[in-house]
Amino acid sequence: MADATLSGHDHERPGFFTRWFMSTNHKDIGILYLFTAGLVGLISVAFTVYMRLELMEPGVQYMYLAFESSPAALESLFGRVSEALATAGGGTNAFADQLSSLQATLMGAVSGTGDDARLVVDGALRADVIQTLDTMAASANPGEASALLGLKDQLDGQPDGHLWNVLITGHGVLMMFFVVIPALFGGFGNYFMPLMIGAPDMAFPRLNNLSYWLYVAGTALAFCAVFIDGGAGPGWTFYPPLSWQDAPTSRAVDFAIFAVHVSGASSILGSINIITTFLNMRAPGMTLHKVPLFAWSVFVTAWLLLLSLPVLAGAITMLLTDRNFGTTFFDVAGGGDPVLFQHIFWFFGHPEVYIVILPAFGVISHIVATFSKKPIFGYLPMVYALVAIGGLGFVVWAHHMYTVGMSLTQQAYFMVATMVIAVPTGVKIFSWIATMWQGSISFKTPMLFAIGFIFLFTLGGVTGIILSQAAVDRAYHDTYYVVAHFHYVMSLGAVFGIFAAVYYWFAKMSGRQYPEWAGQLHFWTFFIGANLTFFPQHFLGRQGMPRRYIDYPDAFALWNYVSSIGAFISFASFLFFIGVVFYALRYGRKVEEKAYWGEHADTLEWTLPNPPPEHTFEELPTREMWDKQPRH
Amino acid sequence: MPIHQENPEAPAPSGASSLERGAPRLRLRLTPYKSLTPEGFVWFIGLTAALISVPLLSILGTSVFWALLPFIVAAVWAIWAALKRSWRDTDLFEEVSLWDDLIRVERHEPRRSAPLDWEANPYWVRVALHSKGGPVPNYLTLSGGGREVELGAFLTPVERVELKDWLERELRQSPA
Repeated sequence: MADATLSGHDHERPGFFTRWFMSTNHKDIGILYLFTAGLVGLISVAFTVYMRLELMEPGVQYMYLAFESSPAALESLFGRVSEALATAGGGTNAFADQLSSLQATLMGAVSGTGDDARLVVDGALRADVIQTLDTMAASANPGEASALLGLKDQLDGQPDGHLWNVLITGHGVLMMFFVVIPALFGGFGNYFMPLMIGAPDMAFPRLNNLSYWLYVAGTALAFCAVFIDGGAGPGWTFYPPLSWQDAPTSRAVDFAIFAVHVSGASSILGSINIITTFLNMRAPGMTLHKVPLFAWSVFVTAWLLLLSLPVLAGAITMLLTDRNFGTTFFDVAGGGDPVLFQHIFWFFGHPEVYIVILPAFGVISHIVATFSKKPIFGYLPMVYALVAIGGLGFVVWAHHMYTVGMSLTQQAYFMVATMVIAVPTGVKIFSWIATMWQGSISFKTPMLFAIGFIFLFTLGGVTGIILSQAAVDRAYHDTYYVVAHFHYVMSLGAVFGIFAAVYYWFAKMSGRQYPEWAGQLHFWTFFIGANLTFFPQHFLGRQGMPRRYIDYPDAFALWNYVSSIGAFISFASFLFFIGVVFYALRYGRKVEEKAYWGEHADTLEWTLPNPPPEHTFEELPTREMWDKQPRH
Repeated sequence: MPIHQENPEAPAPSGASSLERGAPRLRLRLTPYKSLTPEGFVWFIGLTAALISVPLLSILGTSVFWALLPFIVAAVWAIWAALKRSWRDTDLFEEVSLWDDLIRVERHEPRRSAPLDWEANPYWVRVALHSKGGPVPNYLTLSGGGREVELGAFLTPVERVELKDWLERELRQSPA
C-alpha cells in the first residue's frame, strides 16, 4: 500500500530550461505554442506586406530580375534605338538629347573596369529610367513610342514570377499549418480545454511536448522551403504537375512537403491527446451535454484533424515518391491522374478550413455570453451545430474543383451539400445574436473582437454561398473574389477569434491586464485595415482580376491601391499589438480577482488564480464549481 | 460511484492472513472516475472509421487507394490505442477488507504484477482526514501496524469524507 505523503505539496520549481524546453505541463506548452505561432505569424504577414507593395501599382516595382549588360552591349542597344527613332520620326531623331543624357546616366552607373565592367539597372536607377522613358513616350508619335517602350521593356528587367509564387506558397503554408492551427488549437486548446473539463493535465503530457517540438521542426522545414534552392512555388495546395517544379535539381518543394508532413504528425499526435483527454478525463458528472462550448469546439477540431490529416499525409507522400522515386500516382505519362490528387487534397483541405475556424466559434461563444451578462442562448443546438459543421465538412470537398470536369450530378450534389452548411452556421450566428439580445453588453476589447468576428464571418459566409453555386463559380473561380471570400472567413474570422481569445484570457494566463485603450485602438485599426484590404478585392474579382499573378492591367489599379493601403494599416496594427503584449506582460496592472470579467465568465478556469498554479485540479472539481446553468 | 461495497462472499483477497479468517465483515472497492464508457468508445471509433473512409470512395480502383489505405488504418489504430492506454492508466483500484481482528488494504496498479498491501489490527487503527497539507484536499490516511498509508487519493474530496465516515462507523463496531 502506498505510504502517506503528508509532507509535500511544495514541488521543486523547475528551472528555466526544464520548464520551457522539457515541459510536460499543458499550460506551459500552450504558452509556447502561442508565442511560436505569433512569431511565425509576424514573418508570414511580412511576406504579404511585400506582396501588397508589389501589387500597389500596375507594373513590377520590386520583384524583378534586374537588366544586366556590359557597356559595349548597352552602347549598341542605344544605337539601335536611335536608328529606330530616326526612322519613325521621318529621318530626324527628336529624342536624341534626352536619349544621350539617359545613356550617360546609365554609363555613370557602370561598375568595374575593362572586361569586368557591368551595368545593373535596379532600385532608384531603374525607377528613374522607367519614369524618363514614360515621359518621353507620352509626347512621341506611335512609331517612336513603340521604340521607346521597347527600350523600357529591356531596361526594366524581367518580372520574377517565381519569387511571387514562392511568397504566396510560403504565406499559405505558414498561415494554414503553422500559425492559425497552432495558435487556436495548440495554444488555447492546450491551455484551456483541460481546465474547462476539470482535468489535471492532458492524458499524455510527454506526447504533448513531442507535438510542440515537431511543430517547431516543421516550421524550420517550412522556412527551408522558402529559402533553399530558389524556394517552393506550387501554392499551398501542391497541385501536380505544378509541384513537379524542378524535381531533378531543386529540393525546395520536397522541403515544403516534409514541413507539412512533420506539422501533420504534430497535429495528429496533438489531436489524439486532446480527444483522449476530452473523452476520458472529464470531471465526474460533467456529461457531454454539460461540457463548455470551447472544450467542445476543440474536441471537434481535434477529431477533424485526426480524420483529415492522414489523408493529406498519404497524398503528399505520393507526391514525394512521384517527384523522387519515379512513381506515377498523379502523372498522366505513367497512367496516373492529377485530378485524383485534387480530390484527396480537398478531402483534407475543406475540413482544414473548419479546423481553422471552429475553435474561434468556441471562444466567441464564451466571450459573447460573458460580455452580454447572459448565459449562452441555445447551448445544445450550439453543440450540435459544431458537430454538424464538422461532419458536413467531410462531404463537400469537390466544391473547390467545379472546373476540373465533373459530371452534372456530382456538381449538383456538392453544390447542395455545401449550401446545407449554412444551416448549422446560421444556428450559431443567430444564437450569438440571441445571446446579445436584451443583454447588458459591455464593449470591452474581447467583445469588440467577438462582434467584429460575427459580422465579418457572416460576410465571408455569404460570399461562400455565392461561390458554392457551380454555375457562378465558373466566373469567379481563381479570381480575387475567392481571395476576398476566404480571407474574410479566415483572416478576418479566425484571426479575430485569436485576438478575442488573447484579450479575453490575457490576465488569466499572465496575471497582468493590458491597457483597455490600447486594446480598443488595436481593434479599430485592425478592423478598418483588414476591411480596407479585403473588401475591395471583391470588386477586383468581379472585374475579373485573376489570383496568383505578380502584375495586372491598369483597369485594376484603383482597388489594388486601396487594398494595399489597408494591408499597411493592418500590419501597423499587428506591430502595435505585439508592443501591447510585451508592455502588458511587463508593466500591466496586476489582476488578483479570479473571475475578473464578472460572474458570467463561469467556466472552470475562472475558479483559478491568475495565472493558474503549475498544478491545477489535483482535486477533482465539484459540480457546483462548474454547473452554473443546470437546466441545459 | 467509485466506492463500491462488494459481496463479502466473493473470492477473498490474496494474502495468507485473510485465508483462515473466511469472509470479511466489509469489503470496499475504490476506483478512479473514468468518463469514457465502453459504449462511447464503440461509437467514437465507429464514426471515426466510417468518416475517414469517405475519401476512399473517390479513388476506388486506382493505385492511389492502396497508397492511402495504410495512413487511414494507422490513424484509426492510433486513436484506438490511445483510448485503450488512457483506460489502462486509470485501471488502478484499492480494496479495503475488514474482519473483526484485521483490516487489510490492497492497491492494484496497472503494470505492477503484485499489489501493494497493508495490514493492521482494527482496534488500533486511526483514520485521519487532512483537509490541508496533503497532496490533495481532504487527504485520507490510515495509521496502524507501524505505518501510515493513504487511501482513495484518486477520489473526489467529498467522496473521501464519505469514505472516512463509513470506515469509522465500521471500525467502532465491536466484534461480534
